[in-house]
Amino acid sequence: MKDTVPLAPLQRLAWFNLIIFAVAVALYFMTLFFFAWHFHRSLAVAALPALGMFGVCGLWGLGNYFLHDRKRHARVNLDEREALIYQRANTIGVALFWEVFVFLCMGVWAYLSYVRHQATIPVGFLPLLVFLGMIVWQVAQSIAILVQYRRSAGDDTL
Amino acid sequence: MTPSESAQLKNRIRRLRFDHGEMTQQELADRVGAARQTIIALEAGKYAPSLLLAFRLAKAFGVTTEDVFQWDGD
Repeated sequence: MKDTVPLAPLQRLAWFNLIIFAVAVALYFMTLFFFAWHFHRSLAVAALPALGMFGVCGLWGLGNYFLHDRKRHARVNLDEREALIYQRANTIGVALFWEVFVFLCMGVWAYLSYVRHQATIPVGFLPLLVFLGMIVWQVAQSIAILVQYRRSAGDDTL
Repeated sequence: MTPSESAQLKNRIRRLRFDHGEMTQQELADRVGAARQTIIALEAGKYAPSLLLAFRLAKAFGVTTEDVFQWDGD
């Protein structure tokens, strides 16, 4: 007899993170086109202020609520396998974050130094860099969690 | 666990569940302190449990670990 297996706490956390990110991206593009249209600016000029919509990603902190599952009768919320899944996903997320972070740091420096011959990097770029890295980390971690659950799923039978 | 290693480690968890009053996956998960998804992964041969979980599973069925898990490796 087939039945549906309820989502594990980690899966719910991953889906929550991805939905928040999708909402942030949608809000960004809506704001981008609105700013460009309303203030008669080009898309390139409107792109920077529209980035404020990614502040929605601050809701990721609420995702930890999903790690507590009252319906689960088990004594723990993350058993050994789920702890391994979380650890692997976190490793992937941090690795990707580091690659993107270093690439952007060196890439921007190289571009500004050798192409634009500019001695300084705009100070507003620094928090942007960290925030972008965080987005990469969270999204990669969430996808890695869902992929691992999908790979280890078997027949959903009682 | 690599695919070749997972093929070598077999278990009779599903059979033992049915032999013990048609225990559900959720009931077994509750008894051994694991998630139902972990029991599913175990039965599908996609996860090798820790020693502690293996012993808990054996105790839940009242059998030895060798009765639950079989290894065909070298």
